[in-house]
Amino acid sequence: MNALRRIGLALFAPVLAILVALVISGVVISLIGEDPFAAVRVMFDFGDTPSQQTQAIVVVLNRAVPLFLAGLAVSVAFRMGLFNIGVEGQYRLATIMAAAVGAAVALPGPLHLLLIIVVAMAVGAIWAGIVAVLKVTRGVSEVISSIMLNFIALGIASFLLTGPLRGSPEGAQIITTTPIPESGWFPGLNGLLGALGLAQPRTELYGFLLVAVVAGIVVSVLIKRTRFGFDLRASGLSPSAATASGVDARGMVVKTMLISGAIAGLIGLPDLLGDQRSYGTEFTAGLGFLGIAVALLGRNSPLGIALGALLFGFLDRAAIPLQFADIPASVVTIIQGTIVLSVVVANEVSRRLTRRSAERGNAVAPPTAGDGSTGGGQGPDGGPPPDDGPGSGTGPGLRTATGQGGRSDQREGAGA
Amino acid sequence: MNTSAPLAVELRGITKRFPGVVANKDIELRVARGEVHAIVGENGAGKSTLMKTLYGMHRPDEGEILIDGRPVTFRSPADAIAAGIGMVHQHFMLADNFTVLENVVLGSEPTKGGRLDRAEGRRRIREISDRYSLGLDPDTLVEDLGVGDRQRVEIAKVLYRGATTLILDEPTAVLVPQEVDELFGNLAELKREGLTVIFISHKLDEVRKVADSITVIRRGTTVGTADPATTSAKQLAELMVGAELPTPQTRTSTVRDVPVLQLRGVTVSAPGGRALVDDVSLTVREGEVVGIAGVEGNGQAELVDAVMGLRPLAAGSIVLGADDIAAWSTRRRREQGLGFIPEDRHRQGMLLDAPLWENRILGHQTRPPAVKGAFIDRKGARADTARIMREYDVRAPSPDTAAVALSGGNQQKLIVGREMSASPRLLIAAHPTRGVDVGAQSVIWELLKDARAEGMGIVLVSADLDELIGLSDTLHVMLRGALVATLDPASLTPEELGSHMTGAGSTAGAA
Repeated sequence: MNALRRIGLALFAPVLAILVALVISGVVISLIGEDPFAAVRVMFDFGDTPSQQTQAIVVVLNRAVPLFLAGLAVSVAFRMGLFNIGVEGQYRLATIMAAAVGAAVALPGPLHLLLIIVVAMAVGAIWAGIVAVLKVTRGVSEVISSIMLNFIALGIASFLLTGPLRGSPEGAQIITTTPIPESGWFPGLNGLLGALGLAQPRTELYGFLLVAVVAGIVVSVLIKRTRFGFDLRASGLSPSAATASGVDARGMVVKTMLISGAIAGLIGLPDLLGDQRSYGTEFTAGLGFLGIAVALLGRNSPLGIALGALLFGFLDRAAIPLQFADIPASVVTIIQGTIVLSVVVANEVSRRLTRRSAERGNAVAPPTAGDGSTGGGQGPDGGPPPDDGPGSGTGPGLRTATGQGGRSDQREGAGA
Repeated sequence: MNTSAPLAVELRGITKRFPGVVANKDIELRVARGEVHAIVGENGAGKSTLMKTLYGMHRPDEGEILIDGRPVTFRSPADAIAAGIGMVHQHFMLADNFTVLENVVLGSEPTKGGRLDRAEGRRRIREISDRYSLGLDPDTLVEDLGVGDRQRVEIAKVLYRGATTLILDEPTAVLVPQEVDELFGNLAELKREGLTVIFISHKLDEVRKVADSITVIRRGTTVGTADPATTSAKQLAELMVGAELPTPQTRTSTVRDVPVLQLRGVTVSAPGGRALVDDVSLTVREGEVVGIAGVEGNGQAELVDAVMGLRPLAAGSIVLGADDIAAWSTRRRREQGLGFIPEDRHRQGMLLDAPLWENRILGHQTRPPAVKGAFIDRKGARADTARIMREYDVRAPSPDTAAVALSGGNQQKLIVGREMSASPRLLIAAHPTRGVDVGAQSVIWELLKDARAEGMGIVLVSADLDELIGLSDTLHVMLRGALVATLDPASLTPEELGSHMTGAGSTAGAA
């Protein structure tokens, strides 16, 4: 019963948030003169033939994989109270560097892949490491520096793409790097689908899905089961108590940001290695910001993040069918945006409920004020808990490779 | 006492409970209009809780508040302000980059046509300043003011809101002696104009100088009133400390010859270069409890931080056993046998939202039974938490309960049990019984005595004079960062200790 109750409380926030978001979105759809129920029908319509249905599932999964990695990257930092908004810049820079290195060398398959992955993780980690170094040496807020570094990273990426790393011919509409040779392609999983008795879809299911699963498990074990993870969580729950217990706060900031950045470096790889083969002007953008939303939705647990990523992937897939049904695709963006907002609110409500229920656990409340001598500390208004970091407003503008939906609209706003 | 005029403030039977602690019990307070009424008591005696009740910051569980003879119920400080009660906090709440005028009117701005009416505000502040000789210039920036002036701005803020009863919470703690005299001059002005002042302090000499009557609080309840003209500081101290309380007497000496901790010339500097801990040298031997007495804020917390490695040393050495540990990290110090019961358990001792077994690991992340190699040993930690709960009488449903669900006393027993379980060579116990109920207090005292008998060295920092005198083998007094006296607790009364702490004979203790 206890476990049930805990699960109930854990699910309460995201489910409530999604319901609220759906109601708000329904109202918005009605206001623009469309039928919200029709929209929902379209979103859930995966097609008629088995092939179309698997195709829809593959599209959702393929979108969910990078979103999951993005959420994971954000959540690791969140867990110790760091707000890594720089995931966007970290993965863009990591992807172009990985694409360039991957195209420049020719190695046997697995080694080639490994090299690309290592380069991506290293670049992501280094870029996030700058944020950490600034924070521990100069006291610069990671929120500010990571936002700033996003702009710099995007600028560098554009420069590299149009300059030294340009692979596409002069005058081409889409500028890309030189494609990665076949030895650096990540094999797809469609064979597996076939083995499961599913119809073959048109596109390949990203093999990087497996890497994401491994990453999720590794992070989960690292955070929950290791000493390092304990130090990390303790730092997030109460920096002062962690320091007094012997945690080196500065070292933890650096290590955590390096891990967060290394995971962020993976975000672009599913698309790069599974489909695109090169980094270009049309490469998927905005995943870093969506990752913040996914991490919030998943309450920083790898399993929750996976569900959140699937939900966002599902919503994203619906954009094209919605347009076929003459409903603006921005409905998806509205739903995603309202989900993020309601998640922030619902997480806080749920946190208070959990705390209250914990306090009732022993029929005594925490000494909030004591006799005036034990004030401060982690009272109800103590430091922000890691699972509902600063409210973030991100305008998710996901530019997909198919280029549908006209111009992407990517807002980089983060309230902290 | 004159009973014809209604009392400015009267409290009848005020009781305020917090989980595990009765902060105030049957408080009786009678403050006549136009007097300076002092409330004295030790740290943690419940003065602040009482003032928070009177200022509407929380509601009493029992009892009545009467203002000018009429019963009132305060739901918030706004209600208290409306009833003419103002509070001058110990820590100033001023915006540095605002002028005096802006700070004073903030929150109740005079407006003209929807805009701030500076002329009106300026006129009223001048009026208040002249009337009570506060000497304030409305257009000075607060950041340019000294501490004494800032305090007068706080007073002006309260007067501006029409307060007729002012509560001053430890107003002299932040002042140097000359400023204290100025403040007393201001208080005399307020009194002359018919205002009532409630003055909270634990500095008995000051209280006797300025107050018209005194109420003494001990262990959460009022134990008597005194007339400063006829009561000596010694009598007041006796009232404050009480004689009939069970004292934490230790048995025979267990002090051995081997030193566990030696501090030599330990100095900690504030960012500005001022010494917070000033050239402290002391030795703790096996089986010895070394007490550090002092008025709060005289460097004890910084000294503890320095020993734990939470604050860098400006000079000096810290030797644990035979090793100079000054360059060691906090973790290494803990691994090598430093135990730590922090002053503020919520801030430094616990993860409130984490279960008890995770709190068992905190501070012992590198040692069994909490860990196996690089991994957390969940089973081992849970089992050991259950053992601590059993052996140290921590009342909680299970090791999976969140720490926040425990009362202060049980949280503290868990911390004590956790630190003892690692059998440290030296234990730093900072206010180990602060904010815990009497039962837990005696349990913790017993545990400290047992540890001492087994040869553990203990540094005891406390504001509880009974605790210090009863448990310590050697007692140092800390004043303004330096050790100013070393006393023998066997032949020491709380009053003597109290006068050493406030620097009686030399200078008044400052924060």
